[in-house]
Amino acid sequence: MYPRWLWPLSALPGVVWLLVLFLLPFYAVVCVAFGSVDPILLTAQPAWNPSQWNAGWVNHVLQLLAPGNIYWDVFIRTCEYVILSLAGCIVVGYPVAYYIARHASRTKSLLLILLVLPFWISYLMRMLAWINLLSPGGYGLRFLSDTGISSLLYHAGVISDPSNYLGGESFTVILALIYGYIPYFILPLYASLDRIDRSHLEAARDLGASPFRAFWHVTLPLSKTGLLGGAVLITLPMFGDYYTPNIVSGAPSTSMIGNQIDLYFHGGPQPTIGAAITILLSAFLMILMGYYMWTIHRASREVPV
Amino acid sequence: MSEALATRPAEDSFGLFRRLRGWLGNPWGRPRFLVLVAWGYVVWSIAPVVIAIQFSFNDSRSLSVWHGFTTKWYTSTDPNIDSVFHSAELRGALAQSMKLAGLDVLIATPIGLFLALGLARWRGRGSGASNFLMLFPLVTPEIVMGVSLLLLFSHLLTIVPFGTIAQVLGHVTFSISYVVVILRGRLFSIGRSYEEAAADLGAAPATALSRVLLPLLLPAIVASAAIVFAISIDDFVISQWLSSGANSTTVPMEIYAATRATPQPSTDGIATVIMVITLLSVVAGVLVYRFFTRGESGRGSAVNDVAGFGI
Amino acid sequence: MHPKERRFGATRREFLARSGGAALSLSTISGILAACSNSTTAGTAGTGAGGWPLGPGGIPLARPSHPVKMKRWEAPIPSGMQPETGGTFTIFNYPAYIDPAVIKAFGKKYGVTVKVTPFDDITTGVTKLASGTISPDVTEMTPDLLSRVVAGKLVKPLNLDYIPNLKNVWSGFQSPYYDVESRYGVPYTVYSTGIAYRTDQVKEDIPNLKPNPWDIFWHAQKYTGKTALLSEVRETIAMALLHRGITDLNTEKASLVNRAVKDLQELYSICNVKVGDLQYETIPENKAWLNQAWSGDMMAGYFYYLPNKQTGKVLRFWNPGYGKGPIGNDMWCVCSTSKKPVLAHLFLNYMLDNGVGYKNFVDFNGYQPPLNEIQPETLVSKGVIPQNLASCVLTESDFGPKALQEMTLTTAGQSLWQDGYATFQSGA
Repeated sequence: MYPRWLWPLSALPGVVWLLVLFLLPFYAVVCVAFGSVDPILLTAQPAWNPSQWNAGWVNHVLQLLAPGNIYWDVFIRTCEYVILSLAGCIVVGYPVAYYIARHASRTKSLLLILLVLPFWISYLMRMLAWINLLSPGGYGLRFLSDTGISSLLYHAGVISDPSNYLGGESFTVILALIYGYIPYFILPLYASLDRIDRSHLEAARDLGASPFRAFWHVTLPLSKTGLLGGAVLITLPMFGDYYTPNIVSGAPSTSMIGNQIDLYFHGGPQPTIGAAITILLSAFLMILMGYYMWTIHRASREVPV
Repeated sequence: MSEALATRPAEDSFGLFRRLRGWLGNPWGRPRFLVLVAWGYVVWSIAPVVIAIQFSFNDSRSLSVWHGFTTKWYTSTDPNIDSVFHSAELRGALAQSMKLAGLDVLIATPIGLFLALGLARWRGRGSGASNFLMLFPLVTPEIVMGVSLLLLFSHLLTIVPFGTIAQVLGHVTFSISYVVVILRGRLFSIGRSYEEAAADLGAAPATALSRVLLPLLLPAIVASAAIVFAISIDDFVISQWLSSGANSTTVPMEIYAATRATPQPSTDGIATVIMVITLLSVVAGVLVYRFFTRGESGRGSAVNDVAGFGI
Repeated sequence: MHPKERRFGATRREFLARSGGAALSLSTISGILAACSNSTTAGTAGTGAGGWPLGPGGIPLARPSHPVKMKRWEAPIPSGMQPETGGTFTIFNYPAYIDPAVIKAFGKKYGVTVKVTPFDDITTGVTKLASGTISPDVTEMTPDLLSRVVAGKLVKPLNLDYIPNLKNVWSGFQSPYYDVESRYGVPYTVYSTGIAYRTDQVKEDIPNLKPNPWDIFWHAQKYTGKTALLSEVRETIAMALLHRGITDLNTEKASLVNRAVKDLQELYSICNVKVGDLQYETIPENKAWLNQAWSGDMMAGYFYYLPNKQTGKVLRFWNPGYGKGPIGNDMWCVCSTSKKPVLAHLFLNYMLDNGVGYKNFVDFNGYQPPLNEIQPETLVSKGVIPQNLASCVLTESDFGPKALQEMTLTTAGQSLWQDGYATFQSGA
């Protein structure tokens, strides 16, 4: 009923917008990373023509990424933070999403609203809130020391100073990352748990499965896409985070790969190196993304939902 | 918790023991343990923000020790107090955040609407690639987007000045995909039967679009506008990378700068103001959505939908 | 910059930070580059007559012992012209680094609308100037970047006939070693680098610490999490050099710089050192106790950030003193893009007026102009500055020939310092 040209035409402005302001900028990063530097003003001179690309800067960064060199340490630290934060999100988030999807009956709407609420509160404000709590005399600090958690953490070697969580502690950075990103993890997980047809579980029960086995063999596999989706949704941005460690720590000993990129653009600019790190980070994240797509693809064939 | 107690009136200590064993043996079967985790999580996620709001009313510069209630951090005209409504810096940041979010909504929503329509129905060469392209901004770390737009505007599109214009272009770029994802979901659930019925009744394509499809899409358009507004206000990285200095500082940038030095109650105050504005816009979006979808059957309360949109 | 205006990322501190950060590394990979591309490095390295190293554009590196008279790349404007009037006059500067009242008065005096275009930091500023996306009339500049912008023809040679007020500045700045005959710029403010601390938290007598007050950072276990260095390429490494007793703050010896970086890395485990430029706020607020800092910081803190003046008594600034610690200054230059070159000259002259300079300093900027008429003793005796912060005030003698100033490096040297700083910042 509609003319054939209508829909491509309708998509055109959006596609052009994304080509010019999403894809082209990425090309600019590549051209800067493979470009050269103005010998006098030391500004980046992008090489727009791929035949003129030189891989010198990218190689330079790759060498520094080798084990034992500076970016290796930063990269490993970043991976540690991301993995621990992801683990924290799973440990906290899964039971919550599971409960709301499965068991909260009367309180479900209320809980859902409260679950969604952090979405509409600025990330920066939520970080600011923790600065308040962990400052000297703050409620959070008092709570942690009154309950003995601080001394527990201190004696376990998790923190180095129980009175100064903002003094450059990895623990605080990971806690802040979990707090900051967990809403984005819980919601897709909740959605996938909520979608699970109860009859699957009832069938498992009828066939004599214990609740635990039913969970392990039915619920968990069926929530796998949500779990992975949530994980991807928070992992990718965490790899590019630089403001969270800056806000709650500010010490080089907790710097992440994003801080290094930020440094090369804002703290003594060498944009060419910054661009090279950026494309290497993107390539790494593409691999993660590819793995996710592949898993989803496989899962969708295994479990016909 | 109350549920569990209500269904089990009196129990002796032996029953407690049995229940404990029941928990351990089967922690997932019943929600008793999960109730605690879920409510504990909710409290943990909300309480710090509530406390931050509380301290924006603190009658002292302290953000950790309560000295009584005041509204001076919002309204004071004392030049020694950077109050939210009278400090040029904070007011400027508020205005800049609102300006960016408003422009973002005005530009990203229509572009996203047309893109969603196109991508949902265009089956031809390039449609697959366009779909793929549309999804990418959703999973690209903001710093990568920030770096790339910075380099674009410094080396290629040099006519774009840093500051408001560059910031708006950046915000629209990451907002479009959200609009598309929301509207496409709605498009699929509407289906094409309404339009076909209209066509069968003799409606011209333009009429079918404007009189049938558009009204059906309206709630989702409102919802996506609310979401674009919220994510634009929340954005820190793109605004920071594309700013031109003090005159294009947004509220998140202001909060960031303050947290790195020494935040004051007025920092909590400006964060509170921006949160209230965001929540109001979301509530308005939900109400409008409800109004338009009233009488529609099936699953999906507005809460559910908005929750789904967040993803 | 008015400290109250400074909370935004683009602070003056960062400005200073980035001016050092202008150093852009090439040498580590210059071999690879040379092999891979034809991009020229001519004129950025090498040595000139007598083996003296050359900086950007083949201009010799300026040192107090080796003053540099830069060639004028074009003829200055002729003398005796009338200033242009009407339209807009654009100042390219750090945000809030000049008193708006001063700007307004200038505009009124010459019948123009004055606009300030801010940049985040001086290197971003230079990048923008180089890209041609903006065309201001005058720009803020730092001495270590001066030869770079001159070689890149971004700033114009001056005709000093229009700037008689240059006689008001300390004699050392009438014809500074980095710009003999003041051919391209005039001074704006001066500062030194030292240690800011609180006597209620830090018990050591830092100025009398033997053998070297800088060593305090390597004994700061008690101040873990409360200790910070400036986030600045040159300042951090220079501090570690001074800690080892090395006063050549422009050294390009890899062994020295790399050892300094190793020393800095030790600070992670000693005091989990932080990096930032907000000491003017964090120290008065008791959020930090011991910081590397600039001389204006504690004054700014005293003026604006103290809950009460009583606390002001615990603030201290250790100023290393003449020839023992880094000093620096900012400048004004006329942009090549200026359509109002005569008025631009008059602006430079205006800022060096005794009255204007003092007003800008005490009413807004907080940083000291090198004007003869401003007497440090009277600042203290009049109570503008408290006695315990008298060390924050600089005098002409601090800027003698033995003064230590972080200046332009060769391309290879910049690379060395920059890579070292990145290593320190990585927390590795």
